[in-house]
Amino acid sequence: MKKFFANLNTEKKLAGAVFILGVIAIFAGNPYGGAFIKVNEKELALSTVNNSEKISVNDLADWIIKAKADFELIDLRSAEKYNEYAIPNSQCIPLVQLPEADLLRNQKIIFYSDDDVAASQAWFILKSKGYKGVYILDGGLNAWKEKVLFPKAPINGSKDELAQFEKMKEVSKYFGGQAQTDSSVTELTPSFKLPAASTGTQKLGTAPVKRKKREGC
Amino acid sequence: MNSPFFKFNYFGMDVSLILAFAIGIGFGFALERGGFGSAKILAAQFYFTNMRVLKVMFTAIVTAMLGVYFLSVFGFMDLSLIYIGNTYILPQVVGGLVLGIGFVVGGYCPGTSVVSVSTGKIDGLVYLAGVAAGIFVFGEMFPLIKNFYSSTDMGSLTLPQFFNMSYGFIVFLVVIMALGAFAAAEWGEKKMAAKKSEANS
Repeated sequence: MKKFFANLNTEKKLAGAVFILGVIAIFAGNPYGGAFIKVNEKELALSTVNNSEKISVNDLADWIIKAKADFELIDLRSAEKYNEYAIPNSQCIPLVQLPEADLLRNQKIIFYSDDDVAASQAWFILKSKGYKGVYILDGGLNAWKEKVLFPKAPINGSKDELAQFEKMKEVSKYFGGQAQTDSSVTELTPSFKLPAASTGTQKLGTAPVKRKKREGC
Repeated sequence: MNSPFFKFNYFGMDVSLILAFAIGIGFGFALERGGFGSAKILAAQFYFTNMRVLKVMFTAIVTAMLGVYFLSVFGFMDLSLIYIGNTYILPQVVGGLVLGIGFVVGGYCPGTSVVSVSTGKIDGLVYLAGVAAGIFVFGEMFPLIKNFYSSTDMGSLTLPQFFNMSYGFIVFLVVIMALGAFAAAEWGEKKMAAKKSEANS
């Protein structure tokens, strides 16, 4: 037996090893990990504390302007509200339909709703399903309106803050909003007209256009 | 340890580009050392006079497949995070034929032409210029073939899904196929060598 192995050349030995691994593979099971889900409670709890899973509205605005395509923006509100106004490039998946939606696990997913609550729930649902790249738009659509569409001039702002505001003005214009230069306005009134949903690439009432994934070769 | 590392945010975009650069150099080096920088060796595969391409390819496929499979089974890798492109059966058959004809005529595939340029081969350089021109022409005429380009979409499909077999069994079948191809290649090369020496004598 020993002699038999000694007589084999390296190629034959390698071929034998590969064959054995192949046979083992028949019985080794499914590499996708099957149906069971491992929930790492500690990791979940930690990520809610240190805010690492939140995306600020300003970052998101920046990404949309730069036409970054490495994320899926999901609007969790109802279809009517979505048609009324939605952040450009978002697609509408109401929270109740989320478990059936076939979101790709290798995609960066950002949830938003009016505020953080629904987005947090959606975040938890996907996290418990083992999704890795799931994020919440910090403050939701309310923050989007407040900081991106209708930013307010800083009261007695420093030079830096004012320069920052000038930039925000341009950003809000891009998304069809209007910066509030009059700092005496303290509250957002409903009279602010939301831009029509067609300001971005997303047309009003049409199904979200599936963008080609920029991955692979 | 969890992989793929990028998807688990072990590093950002910048570091990933540096790593891609390093891996690319390793890949190019392996291709060149494997003999893939020579149009003669590559084209010989199509005439069955030199089976090196088949051997190198199957070695790479089997090594990568077994690695990915067992790393996933042991839980070191989340296979669902690995991107699998869509299958467009008709366009890919046509595209494969075009690539194959170009391969026999030119002696390179796109990747190996770059490898050959790195060693200063003029034919590789000409080939690469052709690749660039082809990409440009394709881009310009893309509106005309857009419909065909995305027709017969089967989604991101894998062999286990298509044949409705267990993943492990497909791994086994590919191993058997590779070993069979190796044996056939060795046998064929011996035959060819015998023929050649006969012709010479």
